[in-house]
Amino acid sequence: MDGVHDLGGTEGFGPIPIDADERPFHHAWEARMWGLNEAIAGDPRWTIDWWRHVRELIEPLDYLTRPYFDQWAQVYAALLIDSGWATAEEIASGEARGPAPCPGAPMRGQEVRTAARRAADYRRDTGASPAFVVGQPVRTRAAAGPGHTRLPRYARGRPGVVHAYRGIHLLPDAGARGVEAAEPLYTVAIRAADLWPEAAGSRDRVFLDLWESYLER
Amino acid sequence: MSSYDPGKVARIHRELHGKLPSDPALRVRALESLLVAKGLVDRGAVDAWIDLYAEEIGPRQGARVVARAWSDPAFKARLLADGTAAIGELGYGGHATGHLVVVENTPEVHNLVVCTLCSCYPFALLGMSPGWYKSNEYRARAVREPRAVLAEFGVELGEEVEVRVWDSTSELRYLVLPQRPAGTAHLDEAALAGLVSRNAMIGTALCRAPAAGGEGAR
Repeated sequence: MDGVHDLGGTEGFGPIPIDADERPFHHAWEARMWGLNEAIAGDPRWTIDWWRHVRELIEPLDYLTRPYFDQWAQVYAALLIDSGWATAEEIASGEARGPAPCPGAPMRGQEVRTAARRAADYRRDTGASPAFVVGQPVRTRAAAGPGHTRLPRYARGRPGVVHAYRGIHLLPDAGARGVEAAEPLYTVAIRAADLWPEAAGSRDRVFLDLWESYLER
Repeated sequence: MSSYDPGKVARIHRELHGKLPSDPALRVRALESLLVAKGLVDRGAVDAWIDLYAEEIGPRQGARVVARAWSDPAFKARLLADGTAAIGELGYGGHATGHLVVVENTPEVHNLVVCTLCSCYPFALLGMSPGWYKSNEYRARAVREPRAVLAEFGVELGEEVEVRVWDSTSELRYLVLPQRPAGTAHLDEAALAGLVSRNAMIGTALCRAPAAGGEGAR
């Protein structure tokens, strides 16, 4: 999806708003939203990719201006409505007018420490053999259709070199449609000079993790 | 059911305009009340997650990993080969560190991590991500003018240094192993960890030796 979320290389932005400290949260409601995201007994069909796509679909002006964790609240509001688990009126008032399907008891406080130690494994052993080898020159796909993808606009249609092979990983483009598919994943190095006209002559490089179907010979 | 229908969700986003409370704090409070009332959230778990990330899981963990790598070449080799397994040796792991890749700064190479498409970050190792990391400005500029971005953080690099920007487009997460500052041979791991800032592990800071004479000179 060619949305405003795809910010890499967009010009016109000013200085980085550098935080003066390392505090994890700057407002209590940000912490609550973070905790809700971790604690919710959500629909297993809310894949990480669909979640990200729902955020990308926030109206462009809102996406660029609303605070980060406020966008998370917006994502959950949209997910709940889309799944038929809540209405806009319930989300606005905080009062339940009816039940939501119960996917299981929600996480309890004493379970959090264990849950925090769990790391999802996004690899799938499909038996596929990778089409590219480390050191091989490749070109990134020139176009990406509508829907979720992790091939950013700035890196499309560019020459690069396979820097590393990372195994067979779940394909986000499919996950955002509720489909489980996996492809070989590579880290591809692209010269800054091949990305930006003003970087001609630079030795700097940008590295991206790209799935096999994002790449051509 | 999830529709997986972008058109429908875009319409939901539009229709929510003006329906929710105007203040984000009130929006989140209403959302929490509703999720609790629907039996989808236990408030005790929300509190526990916040406590964990406010008090325990944070950049000091990453700093310990860096200090160990500076002190123990065999650990450093394992860390660069398999980040997830190596941080597990120190008891770290979990959220967003299942596929951890560690990239090493050297006199010739400086690494910088960004997520241009959203905000991917190795939470279980570094804690909550800084606001600037999630900002439009950083996400837009880091891949295009990394040296100008670094200069805003006070990091000036010579042209002989190659800048490598890592755009976190998959579920791999990147941690920068900063260069150990000169003049720190006498420091133990705990003191070394004290030199490692969160930003140094993202690539927007360098590690500096303590003032001459070390800790005792303060």
